[in-house]
Amino acid sequence: MKGLSKNTLLIIYAAIVLLPFSMVLFTTFKTTPELYRNPLGLPDSWSLTNYQDLFMKESMSTYFMNSIIVTLSSVAIIIFLSSLIAYAIFRLPKKIGYILFGFFVVGMMVPTQVNMIPIYLLINKLGLLDTRLGVILVTVGSLIPIAVFILTGFMKTLPEELIEAAKIDGAGEWKIYSKVVVPLSLPSIATVTIFAFVIVWNDLLYPLLLLKSTEVKTLPIALLSFQGQYLTNYPMIFSGVIIASIPMILAYIFMQRYFIAGMTAGSIK
Amino acid sequence: MKRKLALILTLAMVLSLALAGCSSKDSSTDAKDSAKHTITFLHWRGEDTEVFNKIIAEFEKANPDIKVEMNVLPSDSYIANASATLLSGKGSDVFASFPGSQFEALQDSGVYADLSNESFLSKFSESLIEAGKSDGKQLAVPYQLVYNIPVYNKGIFKKLNLDVPKDWNSFLKVSKTLKDNGYDPILFAGDVSPSQFINPMVMNNEPTDDAFPKLETGEEKLTNDWFVKTLSQIKELNDKGYFQKDPLGTKKEGAAALFAQEKGAILALGSYMMSAVKQQNPNIEQGLLSPITVDASQMKYEGIHTATFMLGVNAKSKNQAEAKKFIEFLTDPKIAAEYANGTGQMLTLKDVKYDSPELTESAKWLDKKTLFQPRYTLKKEQVSKAIETAVQDVLSGVEPEKAAKKAQEEVDRAIK
Amino acid sequence: MQSNNSAGKVIESNLGTPPYSSLQTKTKKRKVNTVLFWFILPGFLIYSIFYAGPTVFALYLSFTDWNGVADAYNFVGLSNYKELLTDSPIFTQSLGNNLKFTLTVLIFQTILSLFFAILVAKNSKKNVFFRAIFFFPTIVASVSIAFIWTFMYDPNIGVINSLLNKVGLEQLGQSWLGNQKIAIYSLAFVQFWAHTGQVLIIFVAGLQAIPKELYEAISLEGATKWQTFRHITWPLLAPSATIVIAYTTIQSFKAFDLVIAMTGGGPSHSTEILSTFLYHEAFTNFRFGYSSAASVIFMIIIAVITVLQFKLLKSDDVKY
Repeated sequence: MKGLSKNTLLIIYAAIVLLPFSMVLFTTFKTTPELYRNPLGLPDSWSLTNYQDLFMKESMSTYFMNSIIVTLSSVAIIIFLSSLIAYAIFRLPKKIGYILFGFFVVGMMVPTQVNMIPIYLLINKLGLLDTRLGVILVTVGSLIPIAVFILTGFMKTLPEELIEAAKIDGAGEWKIYSKVVVPLSLPSIATVTIFAFVIVWNDLLYPLLLLKSTEVKTLPIALLSFQGQYLTNYPMIFSGVIIASIPMILAYIFMQRYFIAGMTAGSIK
Repeated sequence: MKRKLALILTLAMVLSLALAGCSSKDSSTDAKDSAKHTITFLHWRGEDTEVFNKIIAEFEKANPDIKVEMNVLPSDSYIANASATLLSGKGSDVFASFPGSQFEALQDSGVYADLSNESFLSKFSESLIEAGKSDGKQLAVPYQLVYNIPVYNKGIFKKLNLDVPKDWNSFLKVSKTLKDNGYDPILFAGDVSPSQFINPMVMNNEPTDDAFPKLETGEEKLTNDWFVKTLSQIKELNDKGYFQKDPLGTKKEGAAALFAQEKGAILALGSYMMSAVKQQNPNIEQGLLSPITVDASQMKYEGIHTATFMLGVNAKSKNQAEAKKFIEFLTDPKIAAEYANGTGQMLTLKDVKYDSPELTESAKWLDKKTLFQPRYTLKKEQVSKAIETAVQDVLSGVEPEKAAKKAQEEVDRAIK
Repeated sequence: MQSNNSAGKVIESNLGTPPYSSLQTKTKKRKVNTVLFWFILPGFLIYSIFYAGPTVFALYLSFTDWNGVADAYNFVGLSNYKELLTDSPIFTQSLGNNLKFTLTVLIFQTILSLFFAILVAKNSKKNVFFRAIFFFPTIVASVSIAFIWTFMYDPNIGVINSLLNKVGLEQLGQSWLGNQKIAIYSLAFVQFWAHTGQVLIIFVAGLQAIPKELYEAISLEGATKWQTFRHITWPLLAPSATIVIAYTTIQSFKAFDLVIAMTGGGPSHSTEILSTFLYHEAFTNFRFGYSSAASVIFMIIIAVITVLQFKLLKSDDVKY
């Protein structure tokens, strides 16, 4: 009885999530007129023309590659730098830790629209306009706050004895960080990685602001050209969205292993 | 497991370093290729991407030393992204802008290069490019011509033996007949219609053509009779159930879908929707009509037009000559016809051959007496927004006098 | 990035030097270990140059009348702030809407994510599967979420009202996005629909950090499910809860894409929230300076709320 009701709840929630999502999927098999005639139902036929048209767009593979480059580099840098910062905050005296924590975390509270133009002007001045590096640097800067915020929160919960023990063994800060704290923090690192991955992969703001040439544009910008003033080609956009979501699903599945890894690491004491 | 993670991290970082290097190389090779000028063309018409791609290809063929990079931004975040490129002078050699408050702010900031002496100006209908003028200088040329009056379904009108209404009483009568026959008389899109439908509603009610600009000088007030009357007439349509169910909750996509499915007869948007509707229902026969809010004898205007998609050249651009060449190319009759017929847009150019039934239908309105969209004669967007809000308030059940008073307070704040 | 790796090596080689070891005496108050500042430096630089710096510049503009496109602007002192606080009903309305929105999202998103995180915390195949499904909406770009829900809510061709009609509950049918009293809550629903699965994984990560032995011990004592939750799960989950609550608050305060795409702040400003207000002021009304001033107030409000939450959740007695 108990198991049944738990499963029922899970299935209800899954349905509430999946039903609207399935409409995104169905839309990709429809034509625009069909979509408006029958926005939420099953498509008339399961034709793949939208996907074919999408791939016919010559630069699609370039956009995809650019997205991969920007996302992987940004996420790797964010995780590495933020975990270092979070570790330092965790190890520093409380007062300094507080100040640093506040300094970084206040960045989360900045409304995204306010610094767009100053960022553009800065990147322009540095000659990084229209380069992937420019977008990567800005993305890293903008996401360090949230990564530091989550990682610091989790590191606080690590058992101090382990670190003390490592210290007694003569380990330096780098060793403690890389051999003790990071392995123990894998679940939270995996969490932040997946957060950052999704945010960067779907980000439109900075790429749209900073990238203007076809050679460097990312996938979400490319999908924008289907969005019109009065008429938006939703079937095409959604086909793009579905294709764009595949790397994220892969990333999610990959990161899932580290939840398990973290758990075993935590229980070995 | 740890080692794998470390390996991935290092790999990704090496990758990013390598790319940082090669992306800067990218730009340096671009710069070396100086024989070829690259101009950027910034606009918001996503639905025109394909047609523009073709036109750009033809332009590049005709001008082998110029490359055009087109950037399409969504219209709702257009200026947020465009303003930065305008400031830096990079990324917007040719750019589109809206008339009214946007043009005002941009010209105020000295963004536009002067086009007054360009020969291509003679190809435009002079009266239609007024919106791009400031202090006698032609700073931008409106390219598209739009009629901001409702689209109606000719088939339904024919079936019910209805004539296009010529005064307020007949407009109400037509709406009643449509309703009695099971149609939604007027399809109203809560997001866009408040700013569109108000134009034809106000054009014959306002005492002078410049009543809207006078709001900004304080000479006119929204609490005056003409505006309150306009709001009351919108309320009358709403109270009598002549809009579809829940007009404010309906978005333009939903309203257009109902129109295309012939469940409603009049779509309170504009001529720009005709090609979108046609795509959804190829059999529909569409026309344009205006709600005439007065007696036929008092009618001053038959409809509303807007000259928009104003093309300008960035004053800070290093490629102004090439940019002007591109605009000139767009005014070529053959290219203009290609654009118009490919996108279903009317143009401000003279002598364009329109070949679709929708464009031919719109072209009939060239000879009618139409007023330039009053909302775009406003220099402050806040005033325009206050008017839009008043319409939404009335549709939410607020009394017209009260909605007008609230809107006037907002206007007072904006102009003080 | 290479510099980081080499910095790491330098750090390691420095560790053995006497000054360092002498810092590590058994004093109660930990001394500042300068090596740790090297850990912070690279991130500090990127964040300061590419994010904090432009932000500070934007905030400086709040004392000007810059329009966002012109080369020149005038210094206007505090007048933008004065106007916002004394003569801007739309700003006040946006703040009120934002509080309604954030509070609704906060309550539902936190409770639902905690509840379902407990159900799927164990790493069984089934749970991993459900976690992935719950995470789905986070993956899809917000443009598609906005589109789908606009159609779900549509009064004439939408699913929700027609479903209610079918089961005979048409009196529950509403003008979801058109009614000024309801629209903001309809948006809040979409917001937590889309993000519950995202914060759920924070709770899952937190739950997995709780040692199994504790559960074994308490179950040996014959504790009920509620007692287990009350005495083990909740106290040990407090840090994750702090993260989720603060994150949700900030995220829902900054919600922008959904609102712009679904209602644009309308009808009649009833769904205008602070982020859309800022955006409209800066980029449709061309009042960038004024918009920057609103941003400053916006940040202060979020900061105060976040600090209060931290205090309330007493997470500051956990060591840093």
